[in-house]
Amino acid sequence: MSEEKTTKQILQEAEEKRKAERVPLYNPEALKQIKEKFDQWYNTKLREEDRKNWFVTPQTILGSEIPRGLLYTPLDVADLDYMQDIGFSGDEPYTRGIHPNMYRGRLFTVRQLAGFGGPEDTNERIKFLLAHGATGINIVFDLPTIQMYDSDDPMARGQVGWCGVAMDTVKDWEILFDGIPIDKISVSLVTHYPTNTAILFAMYLVMAERRGIPWDKLIGTVQNDIIMEEVVRSGAEYLPPKWVFKNQCDNIEFIRKNVPRWNFITYNGYNLREAGTSGVTEMAVAFTNAIDTLKELTGRGHDVDWICERLAFFWDPSMDFFEEVCRLRAARRLWYKIMKHQFNAKSPRSMWMRCHVQTSGISLTREEPLNNIVRAAYEALAAVLGGAQSMHVDSYDEAYSVPTEAAALVSVRTQQIIQAETGVTEVVDPLGGSFYVEWLTNEIEGRILDEIDEMQRLGGIVKVIETGWIHKKIADYAYKEQRKIEEGIIKIAGLNYFRAADVKLPEIDVFRYPEGVEERQRKKLQKIREERDNKEVQARLDELTRAARRGEPIIEYCIECARAMCTEGEMFKALKEAWGTWRPPAYW
Amino acid sequence: MSEEKRIKVLLAKLGVEVHWRGVITVAGMLRDAGMEVVYIGNAFPPEIIETAIQEGVDVIGVSTLGGNHLTLGGELLELAKQKGVKDSMVFVIGGVFPPYDIPKLKDVGFDGIFGPGATQEEIVGFIKDAVSKKLGK
Repeated sequence: MSEEKTTKQILQEAEEKRKAERVPLYNPEALKQIKEKFDQWYNTKLREEDRKNWFVTPQTILGSEIPRGLLYTPLDVADLDYMQDIGFSGDEPYTRGIHPNMYRGRLFTVRQLAGFGGPEDTNERIKFLLAHGATGINIVFDLPTIQMYDSDDPMARGQVGWCGVAMDTVKDWEILFDGIPIDKISVSLVTHYPTNTAILFAMYLVMAERRGIPWDKLIGTVQNDIIMEEVVRSGAEYLPPKWVFKNQCDNIEFIRKNVPRWNFITYNGYNLREAGTSGVTEMAVAFTNAIDTLKELTGRGHDVDWICERLAFFWDPSMDFFEEVCRLRAARRLWYKIMKHQFNAKSPRSMWMRCHVQTSGISLTREEPLNNIVRAAYEALAAVLGGAQSMHVDSYDEAYSVPTEAAALVSVRTQQIIQAETGVTEVVDPLGGSFYVEWLTNEIEGRILDEIDEMQRLGGIVKVIETGWIHKKIADYAYKEQRKIEEGIIKIAGLNYFRAADVKLPEIDVFRYPEGVEERQRKKLQKIREERDNKEVQARLDELTRAARRGEPIIEYCIECARAMCTEGEMFKALKEAWGTWRPPAYW
Repeated sequence: MSEEKRIKVLLAKLGVEVHWRGVITVAGMLRDAGMEVVYIGNAFPPEIIETAIQEGVDVIGVSTLGGNHLTLGGELLELAKQKGVKDSMVFVIGGVFPPYDIPKLKDVGFDGIFGPGATQEEIVGFIKDAVSKKLGK
């Protein structure tokens, strides 16, 4: 491990080589003059207290605590090389965006989450969202489905159909997508974990097969992220990290080969950040995971450009407006450098940091919930100015429940207002070139790389999970942030900043869950268990266990199980038998 | 406070609920307020009650954002009644609940109900107060 160079070392060496080629944007004469005038201005025009407090650290929800100066000038980015550091959109180093014409060519996808009750209920919501102009659909699953228990498992009781849609077998997948043209619209399945991706995506593929839709026609995304399975969630049973990481890579390999238009991984920074971490750590963890995944897959002999055709990230724009804009710019440039210098990628597509964003749920308040519309709109705007590819805007009532239809519509409209009414999408990277924005972009890129370096020196992504290092880092951050809110250091309007004397929870319409979902799912399951060939089922499950033990890619065996109408819970059980379970170290 | 005995709290994520930020933060708050905290991760009512009795805790705190607050929450209090600990422990629940469920949570028997935005002062204050009033400690 110590022999291997870290990403930071590799990038530093590459930069060193290109140093002689750098062409500074600002001429030294001009910089000298600016420096002179700046000192003069600083000493004569600026108040003593402003000089003393030149740097202020914004205290914001999920912020990175990067101190900001009072004013930025060319002196802060004195060695800027336009072509090397910024360039043109759709061109290296992709700081300004991955496409030359960005939103003029293709607006960001309005991609709202949907999922509650049973597949029958969610099918209706999908149709509603599509009818109102959503251009993609994200399906979220209920907790038992995410945690891989069947709706009739004792573990699932009381939780079926809440927070997402309950899905047990291929039958449910047929109901969920009934009447939805899955060969035409892009479907994001929020299968957070590598393990539930192998199970649930297998069911999706079998459903497509039964509808006669070839797998190469399917477009969409799964999440498939070890961080979600082993760090972000609280679970009763975890599979061991090294197996989950292997499975993450196996899923990628299988999907890349067999479902060529499908995005096989979305490195999910979002939920990690919501659990409690800064925008810098969010990206550093996702990149460290991505780097280790690519090392594993190239180590298996795959061409990096073949893999990276379909790799995507998922970020969480929160409240520090400029930090959010700059973070997307910084991440694009850093990802480009990693792909170019560490992995020697040749295809531009491999170097694109493509991303979906979702506005921050943790920044929303229960007090005065309409304020949340404003918060989400700023977050969404920052993501658009930063050049995101697709978006979900959180609804104002999410501190109460799953969004009502009315609240979900406001979220769609928020995005449409940005797209059609503000004019911001006409000009690519409109904030590029600002002294402040370029400085902050540099600063954030450096900090992300430093944190990647730290994790690589600790042994890489699996190691920092196994030791509980990440768990502790986010638990500490979350606690510290809570203290700052309570002490009024982080100000939240209506909560701790100009809080109304008598805070009454408003009368807002709150989503009411459909009744009887658990019962309905239970009945369906019972019928399936009676009607299917249970010998076949057992045989397929036994094969899955044996394959998992041998270290073969489990998704292929999950597909066989899905064809035989095995349930999600049965497949999870087969995997626990093979791999045993794991518990994250205590982290508080 | 010159308590001879520290308040002992058992915390758990209710059922298979996934979000742990809230419960971990509360665990930190209670510990900083001088209480003894036992956090058992995800658990169902039987395990929660059993552990609470074994550990001899004063307070049971459960966290859920996943919609199982009434079903499993109700089961927890029902079981507490059966095991005869309903009146000898303080029951607190935290998480995201629709407003119309809050009176129901009270009916079920939770002593304290906390939603997003609840502060350390509110939670710690409530627990201390409830322990002294309900348990006479």
